[in-house]
Amino acid sequence: MAEEVDYKHKLYKLMFEQEAVATFVKDGTSFTVGGFLINRESDCVFREIARQGQKDLKFIEESASPGVDMLIGTGQLVQFDTAYIMHRQVGGIVSMPNLERCLQEGNPRPIDLGGVMTTPNYKGNEKPLEVIDWTNFQVSLRYVAASMKIPFMPNRSSFGTDIPKYNKQIKLINDPYTDQPIHLIPSYDLDVAFITVQKADRRGNGQVWGYEGCDAWKARAAKHVVLFAEKIVSTEEIYRHPSNTIIPAYCTDAVVYLPFSSLPFPVYGCHGSDGFTLMNMLLSSQTRDGWKMWMDEWVYGCKDNNDFCGKIGWEVLERSVKSAHVLNTIPD
Amino acid sequence: MADDQVTPEMIKKAEKEKWNSIYKVCCTGAREFKDRNCVFGGVGISFLTVAIAKMVHAPNMILVAEAGYVGFAGVAAMGSPADNPGGYMAMCHQGLFDMFRDQQGGFMDQACLGLAQIDKFGNVNVSYVNPLIRINGSGGGGDISSSAKSVIYVGEYNPRQFREKLDYTTNPGFLDGSPNARQKAGLVGGGPSAFVTDRGVFRFDPETHEIYLADVFPWQDEKDIDEIVKATPWKLKVAKDLKIIDPPSEDEENAVALMDPLSFYRITQYVDRPSSKYTLMGRHDLIAFNYNAIMLEESIRYNSKIMI
Repeated sequence: MAEEVDYKHKLYKLMFEQEAVATFVKDGTSFTVGGFLINRESDCVFREIARQGQKDLKFIEESASPGVDMLIGTGQLVQFDTAYIMHRQVGGIVSMPNLERCLQEGNPRPIDLGGVMTTPNYKGNEKPLEVIDWTNFQVSLRYVAASMKIPFMPNRSSFGTDIPKYNKQIKLINDPYTDQPIHLIPSYDLDVAFITVQKADRRGNGQVWGYEGCDAWKARAAKHVVLFAEKIVSTEEIYRHPSNTIIPAYCTDAVVYLPFSSLPFPVYGCHGSDGFTLMNMLLSSQTRDGWKMWMDEWVYGCKDNNDFCGKIGWEVLERSVKSAHVLNTIPD
Repeated sequence: MADDQVTPEMIKKAEKEKWNSIYKVCCTGAREFKDRNCVFGGVGISFLTVAIAKMVHAPNMILVAEAGYVGFAGVAAMGSPADNPGGYMAMCHQGLFDMFRDQQGGFMDQACLGLAQIDKFGNVNVSYVNPLIRINGSGGGGDISSSAKSVIYVGEYNPRQFREKLDYTTNPGFLDGSPNARQKAGLVGGGPSAFVTDRGVFRFDPETHEIYLADVFPWQDEKDIDEIVKATPWKLKVAKDLKIIDPPSEDEENAVALMDPLSFYRITQYVDRPSSKYTLMGRHDLIAFNYNAIMLEESIRYNSKIMI
């Protein structure tokens, strides 16, 4: 076996996108992406993993990006811990059509929705995709517990609901101090966190503007942390806004200079969402064949994220940057 | 001539059709929120509702979104609680863990959420619909409803939302309805306080915790109320002194149009298919989706024409 590299103690941590994903994501890795739902998500990771083809992956996120659906479609995902998916939320939007197909047809693999529902009449031999329900706060507590290396965190969000009934990992105990009931939320064994930040230096200080989501906790819970920086700055520039450094250099394993890493979703102060690409993806994905064609064109047909951006069109993205600057800008 | 006479029925009918259900839900729901309160806004029309409240009658309300935006201006409709407009003119940018820490600590006064199914005692399902439909899931709703002082649910009325027994309980309400059921289970906060729909406002009895029809719109007659009662699987109680809701005012109407310039939330109204119908019907094929997309595009064109 190759000697373990101490990435965290490197002085300069710049890497390329493919290199970072290939180094840290192996078969069976558990990973998460930064951001929340459809904002500042590192969606380029899903496309890169689909290209590289690692198997049996585990994914956790409090409110999951629709981008993870492509890994369900390729069958690479076997475990999915989440609180919320943007599925049938507004109007007829089905943003996880591959999850739907897993449930209805068992294609490419059957699904086990935490014991509540399973794919009926499945005849194949594929292992089922396990989807486990939590609430947003409970998932964030899992990161908190993992970051402090403690086994669990107490929580009272699910009394009287069906979440602990089906999710056997939530344990009910009586508090030894007051003898009141309390739920225990276990820690999560997180291997890699991919986080999009607005600014980072080459040592790995990541600065975030706008909402933080769970990024600070994810960065401390994960064994390896990869930052996708919209902009690489000097460490002197980091000194100017130290309170925005939510991920200090000692957390970080690698820094990738990758503008527009969260496309088609927006990043605060950097760019808006690309509604056309998102709509195109969702509409094509409604059928299995349409989804395969979309993947061939937009994922397998692109070398890396820059290729993807080029396909969308740099002029389009330039307009998107300007539109974001109307609302919010990031100070120099 | 007799045909030209304006009868009270005609006025009623014209009033009823003047506003579509999103206007009725959001403008009525907005009145539930008080000035100077700290309010947790959800996704979709629940966000639209609190934003209208802030714009029209509660300028000092502190709007809060779960991803970490506190006290923002609410200048545009947000697609998710983390959308860029939330960062504009905000008092504080923090994280999701910090947000729920403050929420469970009791700093948030009111919350506005959507739902898919509700039972007699205000328990809510947003996760699974039988036989084989997965919908969005708990998100922050479970955390909020288990410890918020008061939760207001908003949504278009659909008789299938009212269930004797939920397919899955995601958000706790008054559980089995017995006195102190929430305290016994370990929950804090006051539980749900209202369910605002386009066919009246449902509230909860302070003693029995049972849901009842409390307020109705001026055009709803006894026949309409009877229909609602009959469509509910249990014997729905109706308040003896039914309050009459004021229809949306001009200010409120303008606020909806301002907050939702591209008709993202109102789009389903133009196709005469409320979004909740889609969810409950389980219609998820390409045709349904395409239809929605085409209508969305048309409404964007129409709106850009009238705006310029």
